[in-house]
Amino acid sequence: MVIVRRVKPLPYWIIPIIALLAGIAVSMIILYILAGASPAAVFSAIAYGFTRPGVIAKIFIALTIVGIALLVSFKGSIWNIGGEGQITFGMMAAAWVALFTMLPYINPGLAQASMIILAMIAGGFWALLAALPRAYLGLDEVPVTLIMNYIAYYIVDLLVYGPWRGKSTYNYPRTDTIPSQAMFPQIPGTTMTWDGLFLLIITFIGVWYLLRNTSIGLRIKILGNNPNLLRSSGINVPLTIILALTISGLIAGSVGALYLGGDVYHIGYPIESQTANYGYTGILVAWLSMLELIAVPLAAYIVSALYEAGIKYQTLVGGNLGGMLASGTSAIVDIFIGSILLLYTILITFSEYKIKIIIER
Amino acid sequence: MSGSILSFIVGASSLFLAYYLAAVGHGLMEKSGILNLAIDGVFTLGVAIAFAVSVYTLSVPMAILATSIIAALFGLMLAFITTKLPISHGAAGLSTMFLGYGLAALVGLPAKVVENKRLISGSEGLAIIQPSLGYMWVWFYVAVFIVAVSIWYLIEKTKIGAAIRAAGENPASAEALGVNVLAVRLFASGVGYALIGIGAAIFELAYSPVWSQGKGMGYGWIAFAISLSAGRHPILTLVPAMIFAALEKFRFIIESTYNVPTDLGKMLPFVAAIAAMIIFMVTPLKRKLAPPKSLGKIYFREERTV
Repeated sequence: MVIVRRVKPLPYWIIPIIALLAGIAVSMIILYILAGASPAAVFSAIAYGFTRPGVIAKIFIALTIVGIALLVSFKGSIWNIGGEGQITFGMMAAAWVALFTMLPYINPGLAQASMIILAMIAGGFWALLAALPRAYLGLDEVPVTLIMNYIAYYIVDLLVYGPWRGKSTYNYPRTDTIPSQAMFPQIPGTTMTWDGLFLLIITFIGVWYLLRNTSIGLRIKILGNNPNLLRSSGINVPLTIILALTISGLIAGSVGALYLGGDVYHIGYPIESQTANYGYTGILVAWLSMLELIAVPLAAYIVSALYEAGIKYQTLVGGNLGGMLASGTSAIVDIFIGSILLLYTILITFSEYKIKIIIER
Repeated sequence: MSGSILSFIVGASSLFLAYYLAAVGHGLMEKSGILNLAIDGVFTLGVAIAFAVSVYTLSVPMAILATSIIAALFGLMLAFITTKLPISHGAAGLSTMFLGYGLAALVGLPAKVVENKRLISGSEGLAIIQPSLGYMWVWFYVAVFIVAVSIWYLIEKTKIGAAIRAAGENPASAEALGVNVLAVRLFASGVGYALIGIGAAIFELAYSPVWSQGKGMGYGWIAFAISLSAGRHPILTLVPAMIFAALEKFRFIIESTYNVPTDLGKMLPFVAAIAAMIIFMVTPLKRKLAPPKSLGKIYFREERTV
């Protein structure tokens, strides 16, 4: 068996679709064997997820923005696994504005805007901390950003358990609910907020412009394809690395504000067991998009539909596991995401390569 | 004083052993050049498998054996796909992590149903296997010592170890010098993940023999951080494993005695890992303790021949 390069790569959309279908099939088999779940029930849950755009809108917006954020750094071959920590930091900054300043009572619009902006700065700062050793010491960003997710969790835990513990939570360790003026207004009939939709559009156009029309965007793209060219043409490579990762963190941070202001309205304790894991799921979105900006919303729609399907499935047939599948947790979602992403990672090889079986005589 | 130190060491020992074995397994695998991001998922799955097998068979050796075999299979799978195909180690590892989280719930919950029925009917349930672990502490320490020295010997003093290090530093040159990179990485990952599996099994059976969905999540990353903070060195790994096991085990005592928040203790392994990584990069320790040069780099043998 040898693997040879194809003369012409397959069209880029083929592999994601094959991986998606094969991944769903594998998930069905796993669920059938281990949980005795009938494929029909899994299928109906998936159909439910895909046909409820209003329900999945909240997850869709968050995942699209995280996907775009990660895309910026992935374009430069900087593998930002730290979206989760950047989101957590963003959430922390937004919570500070909403809970500990007078802004919400003075001007709700200004308060919401500063929640988002401060969340972006906090996320960008957290990414910058990982970018510096990557740029100047060559320290691999993958373990660093990953580890920093946990450091971010525990920093927020320390705050929520200690100084930020709510006054009206019966001494239960969580922050107070943010004032209603700081809550992002919901679009009727959906789960998304106006702020989220607005942020999504701004981010999409902004990144599209960044990658297409600016020299920073061009440098990031060259960093991904041919860093030596960048070095030999006298461009500051460490600075480009820092920009790629920090911009990525800025955008991811804004999702923290969305999650706090449009979804949970408080920070629970411990945060690591209550996060929506958008930072990790966003990696799947960015990968499935083949790093094409235009495909990010599509990938996010698919992933958020599967996300919803996993949650729906748990309520539909959780009884097969003695009714003990903890609700709201993501076991089924994890199976979907894991098998699709793993198959995709393997199959992507075959858009550029093909396997030849050679019988030696 | 010596008595309290002894009780301290004995009290932390099962968690110490779990951390240490998982961290050493992780270090061995990464020495061969494969970036291992699947550790937390497979650790969580291992915890669930150890629980399920011990519920079904009521046998500690069976549970440890089954867990290490299944974990080793994951290691072999990861080594095979990342060496044979030009794919991202990070993506392969993270997707396996998700799969591990999901499978853990599906493996553990049916066993939990069985265990709960037993407990309701008045039987002792899983507690029945506990006494057989009680006298084993001394042997655990002997075992740890043997593992530490033999893995160190394997990596530093044997031909296989030289091949593992070569595959991690520069697989293309290693291949040219006659090392079978695929075989070496399969070996390192298989053994490494078997150790991770044993660590997970000990975590479940000896440290806290109950199970609920999500148990073990995060502990794989602590083992990951322990391994990195010791530069993947099998003997040095003993130190952070001991410290962080003691911190975790006695965090409530430490919290009440010294008024230190628990989350600070939980954060410490991760901060130590990043600090150690930076120190290893900028000081002369680099020679021994910096990450392998080709760690996580795509190595695709077929590419050269085309």
